[in-house]
Amino acid sequence: MTTIDISYFSLLIGLLLLLIPIYFFAKFKTDLTKATIVGTLRMIVQLFLIGMYLKYLFLWNNPFINLLWVCIMVFVASETALSRTQLKRKILMLPVAIGFLASAILVGCYFLGIVLQLDNIFSTQYMIPIFGILMGNMLSSNVIALNTFYTDLMREQQLYYYLLGNGATRQEAIAPFIRKAIIKAFSPAIANMAVMGLVALPGTMIGQILGGSSPNVAIKYQMMIIVITVTASILSLMITLWLASSKSFDAYGRINNVFQEKK
Amino acid sequence: MLQIKGLTVCFKHEELFNGLNLHVKKGEIVCIKGRSGSGKTTLLRAVMGFVPIKEGSIIVDDTLLTAQTAEAIRKKIAWMPQELAFPVEWVSDMVRIPFGLKANRGAEFSQKKLLENFAQLELEEDLLAKRVCEISGGQRQRIMLAVSGMLNKKLIIVDEPTAALDNVSSYNVLNFMHRLLNNGTSILTVSHDPCFFEGSTRVFSL
Repeated sequence: MTTIDISYFSLLIGLLLLLIPIYFFAKFKTDLTKATIVGTLRMIVQLFLIGMYLKYLFLWNNPFINLLWVCIMVFVASETALSRTQLKRKILMLPVAIGFLASAILVGCYFLGIVLQLDNIFSTQYMIPIFGILMGNMLSSNVIALNTFYTDLMREQQLYYYLLGNGATRQEAIAPFIRKAIIKAFSPAIANMAVMGLVALPGTMIGQILGGSSPNVAIKYQMMIIVITVTASILSLMITLWLASSKSFDAYGRINNVFQEKK
Repeated sequence: MLQIKGLTVCFKHEELFNGLNLHVKKGEIVCIKGRSGSGKTTLLRAVMGFVPIKEGSIIVDDTLLTAQTAEAIRKKIAWMPQELAFPVEWVSDMVRIPFGLKANRGAEFSQKKLLENFAQLELEEDLLAKRVCEISGGQRQRIMLAVSGMLNKKLIIVDEPTAALDNVSSYNVLNFMHRLLNNGTSILTVSHDPCFFEGSTRVFSL
């Protein structure tokens, strides 16, 4: 089984479908029209560039270049997480980056080395897509979780200080905020997991089937992808919060302002 | 129980008070009075280490307040702020909040004991079955005062416990506090209520 290529002309015809959402976004004055057009253009440019990079990464198949690529992904993901959450770079940049890198390496290597039992876990064919999907999922769940955690902590300081003032340790006083952040960030993934295969066919599975794999192989990869993305996401969040806590609070447990000043 | 010596606290580079000395002995109710903005709540918060201190010292139960001792000191304190807007839906959940903390494991939650405290504060039992948004600010504060009384703490710090209350309710609050003193508790509070001043061991003007 081979995958049918999409010609550039056909791709253009396919992209015309976007005129339908753009029409409705504009008709109802949603402010999404410009964002959709810019987003589409960025997607086209970025994916073509990635296509070129990946071509060379596959050609070289060099562990050091692959690791360098992972580091670049970590940096870009951390930058994106901070710009979307408006958190101070000085306080959160290092914790977020270390959280992403450590979780991706731990969970990624566990999957590639122990589950897949690859001879070379740095092989481009496996390492780059797996680390890429981990990074994407960690980014989206961390943006929701960090935003929820710090926004609620600033807004509901009263509860935090009430708990501290009645004998809570700092860990106990922030526990309700971590709980809420986890629920908000992970509920969609857990709900999605429960209906997988019934309501929607997941991306990895479709990609593998289109790429020529048997459905039997595709479902096993899909299960593992779900498991490793959820695990890496929660791990990265916990590492980030743990590393950031010394700068998010002072020695007495008072909350420091972690958000960027509004201009 | 509490010794404040030469305390100076600033807010946005402006001194709220300086060189403040205050002593609360075991079994005393000390009430702080003063005009709005004079730093009464800030003083209460400073005792728990929630406010940076410019000069002076705070000693709670023979322990000097520092970054290292703040947690241990707070374990001896029950704190009740004036505003109590917690993100919980039911009163029955709100009253259990402090009992989930390791520091309060010695004080097990008892509905019987809570309802006894409710009776002393003239709170109706069915308040427990209500949503937090259905009760008034004054009721919320008295409910949490009833809870503070169950935590067996050496020092209770209460911000404006009678602000939203009529004279009879204020009198009930004062009586409830006096019963807590019998267990060796000390109370530091802020009030504008003249009846409350009369019932306090000492009144401190800020």
